[in-house]
Amino acid sequence: MSDKLKQIINKQGDQQNSGHDQLDDIVQLVGFVIGEEEYAIPILAIQEIIKPFTWTRVPQVPSYVLGVFNLRGAVIPLIDLRAKFGLKTKNQSDETRFIVMRHGDDVAGFVIDRLTMAIRLKKTDIGPAPDTVNGDDTIIDGVGKQEDKIITILKVNKLLERDF
Amino acid sequence: MDEFQEILQDFLVESFELVEKLDEDLVELENNPEDLELLNGIFRVAHTVKGASSFLNFDVLTHLTHHMEDVLNKARHGELIITPDVMDVVLESIDLMKALLETIRDTSTDAGIDVSACVVKLDKITGGNGEVDTPIAVAPVVEEISEPEVVEENEDEIDYDNMSPDDLEAEIEKLLQERQAEDKAKREAKIAAGEDVLAAPPEPDAEPAPKAEPEPTPPPTPKPAPAPVATAPAAKKEDPKAAAPTKRAPAAVEQTIRVDVKRLDHLMNLIGELVLAKNRLIKINDDVEERYEGEEFLEELNQVVSIVSLVTTDLQIAVMKTRMLPIGKVFNKFPRMIRDLSRELNKKIDLELGGEDTELDKSIVEEIGDPLVHIIRNSCDHGVEMPEERLAKGKNETGTIGLKAYNEGNQIVIQIDDDGKGLDVNMLKNKSLEKGIITEKEADNMSEKEAFGLIFKPGFSTAAAVTNVSGRGVGMDVVKTNIEKLNGIIDIDSELGVGTSMKLKIPLTLAIIQALLVGVQEEHYAIPLASVLETVRISKDEIYTVEGRSVMRLRDEVLSLVHIGDIFEVERILDVSEHAYVVVLGLGTSKLGLIVDTLVGQEEIVIKSLGDYLKGIEGVAGATIRGDGGVTLIVDVVALMSMARNVKSTALSNVGSESTVSMEKNKASDYKVMIVDDSKTDRTIMRKALESMGITLVEASDGQEALNVLKSGEHNFDAMLVDIEMPRMDGYTLATEIKKYNKYKNLPLIAVTSRTGKSDRMRGVESGMVEYITKPYSADYLSSVVQRNVNFKAEFL
Repeated sequence: MSDKLKQIINKQGDQQNSGHDQLDDIVQLVGFVIGEEEYAIPILAIQEIIKPFTWTRVPQVPSYVLGVFNLRGAVIPLIDLRAKFGLKTKNQSDETRFIVMRHGDDVAGFVIDRLTMAIRLKKTDIGPAPDTVNGDDTIIDGVGKQEDKIITILKVNKLLERDF
Repeated sequence: MDEFQEILQDFLVESFELVEKLDEDLVELENNPEDLELLNGIFRVAHTVKGASSFLNFDVLTHLTHHMEDVLNKARHGELIITPDVMDVVLESIDLMKALLETIRDTSTDAGIDVSACVVKLDKITGGNGEVDTPIAVAPVVEEISEPEVVEENEDEIDYDNMSPDDLEAEIEKLLQERQAEDKAKREAKIAAGEDVLAAPPEPDAEPAPKAEPEPTPPPTPKPAPAPVATAPAAKKEDPKAAAPTKRAPAAVEQTIRVDVKRLDHLMNLIGELVLAKNRLIKINDDVEERYEGEEFLEELNQVVSIVSLVTTDLQIAVMKTRMLPIGKVFNKFPRMIRDLSRELNKKIDLELGGEDTELDKSIVEEIGDPLVHIIRNSCDHGVEMPEERLAKGKNETGTIGLKAYNEGNQIVIQIDDDGKGLDVNMLKNKSLEKGIITEKEADNMSEKEAFGLIFKPGFSTAAAVTNVSGRGVGMDVVKTNIEKLNGIIDIDSELGVGTSMKLKIPLTLAIIQALLVGVQEEHYAIPLASVLETVRISKDEIYTVEGRSVMRLRDEVLSLVHIGDIFEVERILDVSEHAYVVVLGLGTSKLGLIVDTLVGQEEIVIKSLGDYLKGIEGVAGATIRGDGGVTLIVDVVALMSMARNVKSTALSNVGSESTVSMEKNKASDYKVMIVDDSKTDRTIMRKALESMGITLVEASDGQEALNVLKSGEHNFDAMLVDIEMPRMDGYTLATEIKKYNKYKNLPLIAVTSRTGKSDRMRGVESGMVEYITKPYSADYLSSVVQRNVNFKAEFL
């Protein structure tokens, strides 16, 4: 009996996989600025974008982890991307936002200087991360080319990975 | 397929429940071999499992239970006396049955466990009228036994191992049909049953057959193959005794339903959110009350808030209750354990259970089992003496271990008593010294209770030799960690030669706890109230430093202290007052004083995890959301205790007097002055007066804004010009606030105001202003006052 079940499950699995193969070749991203650079992350990785509010400091963490904040009842870590990217901390302005990103079960809020826009990019317009960035460890997923500029696309799973 | 899975699930859940109860009953049976009701109950379990498993084609399990049933049936009819040796075999078969059930749960088949050896033993008992020889070597084929009664059965069950699957299938098919036919014949006497075996109503067949029907052969009686599945839920709740044939009520109505634990967890989470919302509502209500005092609508609001809070609390309790399980579920396995242990150790031990109905949260019931096993093993092995020794001491030959549970406040206490030899304080100390767990000095200063606590140290074991039972020095250490994980406390009492009593105090539930909120600088922390023994207000000179650690005298004890700010790396910005509060934390047998700046109050908090990203932060057990929507960290008292050992004493000494770092001034614009005034005109006048000096000026339009600018740390000010009358926060308040910060203790504050009264001046001085300039003033005067206060170097002029 269980063999039969396995077969069915396998078949369903195959069907699902084949469905994935025909992904459209447009990638939707959200762009934002940290320091002087413009970065982007896939729109699907964003749970929400909110205006800054108070957070609670957490001890024994690197300085780029500001602490935790309350997102409608959930306690979520808050990470300062300026500090994480080695830039000098800057006071929050009217344009500062928290981007809440989600990858699987991991959720965290990221402080960014300012949002730019939602971007649609053809897959063919996205190049690989520069060779100088070493191996799998990079948080850069690729480089998106637009008419007048290039945008660094970040890996959400790497951003959400604990590295301390 | 689904239907099959569903039945399988039901079968497993039910079987595990039955088996759990079985252990306890069997041990009791050994003491009362004549107890027919008990026997009937046990027989029924074996029977139910057999029936259901044969229906589900678990042949090995059926095979085993069938033989168990034979033995029990004989005993039931008085043809067999249950001796300890017989019981050993029966218990072994039950262990096998458990193993089989577990295999089924994990793999959906019952293959892979060899039951033949046990079956041989069981057969031997039925065959040899209760006399068991030393276990026979594993015979591959079990069947050829001369007893006529069993032969018929054996032919049915024969050689399953050697059959091809198809033959087996056919054989079972045949068997089932036979059985069904038998059943049908029986049932016809009653109401005609439906064709669908599954839907068959609970059959009395599941109960032991009436004794009036003399049946020497076991097989025909107990084979209503399919029926038990349906009977199961009804049977499981009943105590076997209550279910005895004489008392059997006509089909009691089912009063319980099975609910997936996930649903209850979800419900509990929702309640958690509700509690948080309630806290918030209460806070808002307080604020509103303050602001609109005396308004009529307030009373109505008050009523609604109290109803909501009342109902929320009730709801919370109600949902908590749905997750409660009687602790008897855990206690059940101990009679069996004690029995096995006493046989193994050649001791005589009785177990007295009490308070099995005491209810605990499911998650705690799951966690509490292991620690109890260790404690009871320990009591058997180290506590209770050998029978001869006991007699020599004038004690009863049989030792007693008491295990009881009861409620005490909002805690559950599980108490384990033994009347053994008790703990020898000196022996404990010597042993710990030997093993280097404590130092000579520590041993001398140790109280009796602290010495008892030594048995929980990792690497400690009082057993002279490592036995099967205990003495590996892991057990009690595990007990402590597990109990502490549940926010519980262990309390040991012992009298040498009389016995030991251990109390485990555990909170009722894990998700929502009472906490003491404390403040340090501008931060708040929540401490689980269960670990708080008391709070004391002390002044700084009550703190002494001994060997680099802070201590204080608390009544007749010396309490070591640690500042919460040192544990959580809190920046000391605010000035610390002369007084501080010490929260005395108690955990197991150890105590620690935690110094905090303020006590905020007691609150019911919902524990939330910090998530994967921030997990494992030492000293933080989680977080909770407060009434104001902010997040407050929950202190992990266990970790805090161990962290405290490594924290250097800074206690209340005011570190960081390097605060007023006046940086070297190289040019006029290095000087920074803040102008605080709500009038744009006044600010412009001041700016005009000071601009000529070339210093940097920053403006703020009221006290609040000025404070924020200051707090942001963006600028390093050399002086501030403060207007007194301003919206939101006036000049006096601003000055008082600023002076709270160590860093700004020496920042010159210059009042610039049109208030000329003497009392105004006095207030200005009180709040920490150094100069008082009254409007109108000349530009030169203002500039000279500022120059004086910022130590303006003449060369920049």
